[in-house]
Amino acid sequence: MRRTLLAAIATIGLGVPAYAQGGGQITLQAYAGIFRDNYTQTVIAPFTAARGTAVQYHDGGTSAAMLGTLRAQRADPQIDVVIMDVTTAAIACAEGLVEKIDASTLPVIGDVDQQGREAGGECGPAVTYDHLVMVYDSRAVTPAPTSLAAMWAPEHRGRVALSAPPNIQGLALTAILAHAESGNWRNIGAAMPKLRELAPAVQTFDPNPDGYTLILNNQVRFATGWNARAQLYSDQSQGRIGVTLPQEGTVFQINTINLVANSKNRAQALAFMAHALSPEAQAAFTERMFYGPTNSRAQVSAAALGRTALAPENRSRVIGLNWSEMVRLRDSWNQRWRREVIAASSR
Amino acid sequence: MIGLLLCLPAALILAAGFVWPVLLLGRISFNRTTDMGAMEEAWTLETYAKIVTDDFTWDLAWNTITLSAGAAAAAVALALPVTLLIRSAPPRWRGVLALMAVAPLLVSGTARVVGWMAILGDQGMINALLTGLGLTSQPLRLINNLTGVRIGLTESLMPYCCLVLIAGLSRLDSRLEEAAATLGATRSRTFFRVTLPLAAPALAAAFALAFVLGVSAFITPRLMGGGRVFVVATEIFDLALETVDWPAAAALAMLLLGTLVVAMVLRGVLAGREAPR
Repeated sequence: MRRTLLAAIATIGLGVPAYAQGGGQITLQAYAGIFRDNYTQTVIAPFTAARGTAVQYHDGGTSAAMLGTLRAQRADPQIDVVIMDVTTAAIACAEGLVEKIDASTLPVIGDVDQQGREAGGECGPAVTYDHLVMVYDSRAVTPAPTSLAAMWAPEHRGRVALSAPPNIQGLALTAILAHAESGNWRNIGAAMPKLRELAPAVQTFDPNPDGYTLILNNQVRFATGWNARAQLYSDQSQGRIGVTLPQEGTVFQINTINLVANSKNRAQALAFMAHALSPEAQAAFTERMFYGPTNSRAQVSAAALGRTALAPENRSRVIGLNWSEMVRLRDSWNQRWRREVIAASSR
Repeated sequence: MIGLLLCLPAALILAAGFVWPVLLLGRISFNRTTDMGAMEEAWTLETYAKIVTDDFTWDLAWNTITLSAGAAAAAVALALPVTLLIRSAPPRWRGVLALMAVAPLLVSGTARVVGWMAILGDQGMINALLTGLGLTSQPLRLINNLTGVRIGLTESLMPYCCLVLIAGLSRLDSRLEEAAATLGATRSRTFFRVTLPLAAPALAAAFALAFVLGVSAFITPRLMGGGRVFVVATEIFDLALETVDWPAAAALAMLLLGTLVVAMVLRGVLAGREAPR
């Protein structure tokens, strides 16, 4: 007991962060499936090996489902760290479900790029960047398309899968089209004629289980998707699934990493967050799964970086969509889609 | 007293598993959602007012009622001949046939819907057959629309209708049909003038059960509607798990629950009036 106390005093005296002590256990809530598999291998396993801190991975489902878990556990949180979409994280932050945090508590935040720091607001910073892409059946669509306009081609009528709002892929696609047509992503009026024109060609506005699977099953030739998963599925399918960052541009989907309020393992949770945001962990996850790193010091190979939106040749095509603003527009966009786009898609 | 004590475990389970969650849901429905989506503790009717005054809510209600009523009617119509066949079968076969009629319930609802998606899809069995025989040049659109949802929902409701009808028709006195036949009635006349009127209460009960299940059905409209079919259950899902507007999702769920309770009470009252005194 005395030794522990002395060690604690020595730690404080030396100015070493409280989370520097190893051991213990934390519970991380994040996405299931291939995210879990790859995150466990590239980020969690090295952390556990280095510190001896066990990480229980809780499959959270969607970000909204994770928010539900946090709300349900408000009085007695069982989760310590949560990785979730930036818009849902903002809700968790506003409701006090995750802690406000800055570089004085977590110094590595200083290495996160400006966009990543601002994305999280007062709570946890961005931990991954992803972006919207067009995925297509490379056997049926030749030459490889470079523009979203390929989906409007008559020969692909009925072979297109889109995710309609309120799904964020639908919101992102609408913003990209609005930006392409008018230079302003908020101008949904500019996107609507294009979407109404495409509507009859759409087989489903709710791809199940997802667009990638529908392409592999010959159900559709085009879908929208998120780059990281699309790149991975493209590799797994030996290139059958083609991935394009369209010339009309793309928007980021940002995941933030957050410390759950009243975490029972706060020090270990902060240690994990520091590791997850470190240049090494960020680079390893990008090399494996093609999420863009948020740590500006991450050293990523040119080949892996080239498959993210952070590649120099891709950065100019990223539209500066503000997701906090989008949350306020979402309901009206959703209604316009239902009344003008889906209604025009009689099937 | 013993009866009450015996009911206690079930009552406690019901209270913990249904009443308490519904009360919590009701409480959430009075909260407020801020512009940026956060939920604030409140006691307000704002969400209810917004839902009730939104035209889309009424479209949802209409879609839900017409879809459920249509699927329930079709399920009852399809289940009736199956049940009559079971009733007329030799006693030793009735159990096996009844089991076959309700066997779909042994399979997960999601698995059944995925099966339908494979059968009805553009590359599915039916379209392959039709195009292979030269009957159609383009695949028929049997999925990702209202047609697909109607087919899937009808199939999913049929086993429940069979269960109710098997129980109801087993109580019919077959001597009445025999008497009609003895008096010279044809088989069809006996069916329409004797069997069907006697089966009416069971048919009504089957329809009511199928309708209630259809109104709250989620998997079939979600997976087979292709994002084109909007019903109350899919909207509640979107509000809860896409836009994260829990007060709106809870308010819509409470309105749905209230409507169903009122409908069931009215049905009970009407059935009570029609019952022989």
